[in-house]
Amino acid sequence: MAEMWISMGPQHPMTHGLWTLKVKVDGETVVDTEPDLGYIHRGVEKICEARDFTQITTYCDRLCYASANTWSHAYIYAAEDLLEVEVPERAEYIRMVAVELQRIASHLMWLGAYCPDVGNLTGMVWCLREREMMMDLLQELGGSRMHYNFPRVGGVKRDLPIGFALRCRAKLKLFLDRIQEYEALLDESTIFLIRTQGVGYAKAEEMINHGVSGPNVRAAGHNYDVRWAHPYSIYDELDWEPSVERPSIKGSDCYDRYRVRVEEMRQSALMVLEGLDKMPGGADTHYQSGDPAIIAKAPARAAEGQTGYHHFEDSRGESMFYLVGGGDERGKHPYRVSIRSPMFITIPYASKCMIGYKIADIPAIMGSFDPCIGETDR
Amino acid sequence: MAKEVSAKQVLSAAEEIVVDVADFGDAVNAEVRYHTGGRRKNAYVYIEVVASEWRALALWLKKTKQVDYCSMITGIHWPENADASWQVVAHLLRTGVTNPAVVNKRVHEIKVDIGGLSGNSTPLEFEISMTIPDTREPSVPSVADIWVGADWNEKETWDLVGIDFDGHVGMRRVLLPHDSPTGYHPLQKQHKLRYHDFNEMYDDPQGFGRKPEDSGRVK
Repeated sequence: MAEMWISMGPQHPMTHGLWTLKVKVDGETVVDTEPDLGYIHRGVEKICEARDFTQITTYCDRLCYASANTWSHAYIYAAEDLLEVEVPERAEYIRMVAVELQRIASHLMWLGAYCPDVGNLTGMVWCLREREMMMDLLQELGGSRMHYNFPRVGGVKRDLPIGFALRCRAKLKLFLDRIQEYEALLDESTIFLIRTQGVGYAKAEEMINHGVSGPNVRAAGHNYDVRWAHPYSIYDELDWEPSVERPSIKGSDCYDRYRVRVEEMRQSALMVLEGLDKMPGGADTHYQSGDPAIIAKAPARAAEGQTGYHHFEDSRGESMFYLVGGGDERGKHPYRVSIRSPMFITIPYASKCMIGYKIADIPAIMGSFDPCIGETDR
Repeated sequence: MAKEVSAKQVLSAAEEIVVDVADFGDAVNAEVRYHTGGRRKNAYVYIEVVASEWRALALWLKKTKQVDYCSMITGIHWPENADASWQVVAHLLRTGVTNPAVVNKRVHEIKVDIGGLSGNSTPLEFEISMTIPDTREPSVPSVADIWVGADWNEKETWDLVGIDFDGHVGMRRVLLPHDSPTGYHPLQKQHKLRYHDFNEMYDDPQGFGRKPEDSGRVK
């Protein structure tokens, strides 16, 4: 049969944001694919060169609307590496709470978007219902609903509000019960299993060579996680293990990637509960109280050519910021900001992953990698 | 059981690399550096390499040192520095990820014994830097066939910074529109942002408070 190219997107329910997937098909079988990105390229890296170190956090929030806190924290850790700042322990705990709550919210957004992709509309309604609880908690921390601008160089914006731990515990306990409802809904749904099992096989070593990391690799049977391999923050004080899935001989399929994210939500909820118990008291949430002007010293601390970077476990894989200091001449602006987006690297791999499957499997395979176009296009 | 890789493990792995890389001679200059922020000041390997030796170094890292993951390749434009007006920075990771073993026809997931990691199995960060003197057509060798993850990083670096990669197959615009003018790479420093060097922006965004240069003079 003759082969032909079909363009899926930029406006298509499968694409989760504006991008085009060009698919070469032979009948109903996918023979070749070519992703086409850049529809919402905003030039964040260039904009950041004209902003000082505090203002950049705001732009990082907007890299991914579903996972704002993980992105601003990824930036802040890199900025602290550049400016040689240490953070009080309580602030690290509060950051961990914010990041893990955001990870739950992001995975819920993913599951909520993935369920309708594979023909389960109820899943979307349920996930967005629970995501609302996480959004409320994050709103208490950051003040706004989606873009929190929460971390600061050397600390966090503000201490936990009064009664936060109480409400957080209550909501997370409710959430831990509700996860079982998702499992009952999805793991016992024949349609969901047929759509996700046995499609989109990906192997661990191949993914690592292609630059894919995070939950996608853990779904393929190896518990590699930046949080223990390149440690930061206070994760060593918590009792946790990265969730890891047992794949089949052919690698991990879409179902494994769904399972690993559900497990990761449970893991994150338990981490937050434990973190709230272990959090040290006091109001010490900022670097050297009495030294609020850390940014004013930025030109001296970040000389021109001095660099800082940080690998961070984003909810979609390993993200990274690479900063080059601007020195006296550029005041408080960095000379160069470079952003490593996990999805920018994963989308080309996921597109190749669907070769050999049917057109109807494209949404199931693509969605299972959790694409987010905001961070991809930057 | 250890919950994370200790600073000692990282340091000994990094020192091993720095010793072994000396085989490359003058072309490669390696040292152990430390992160300066946060709770841990973990070590990482910093390598300066002559651009022509980059491919050989990359192959050596991949084959001998099991560096299996290319995190990011990016470029920086330094127009004021004629000796090194283009810089390419590569960040690599050693992850140690392997396909899970098949025992009795069943796959068993891997849970790494973190405390027992040593030598080539220790996760490690690499920062590799190379510079190119002032030229209109900067170019370094491509490593996209060694780590496929470098492929789109190199496309992006060419697209935004304008540094080409020798041997890269299928170089094209990825973030900018396909019909962008040839030679237009927005992260080069001759392209100024509107508000570069203009700090009054935040007090007076509309510019109403600005006065003409001859204000107050007798006309």
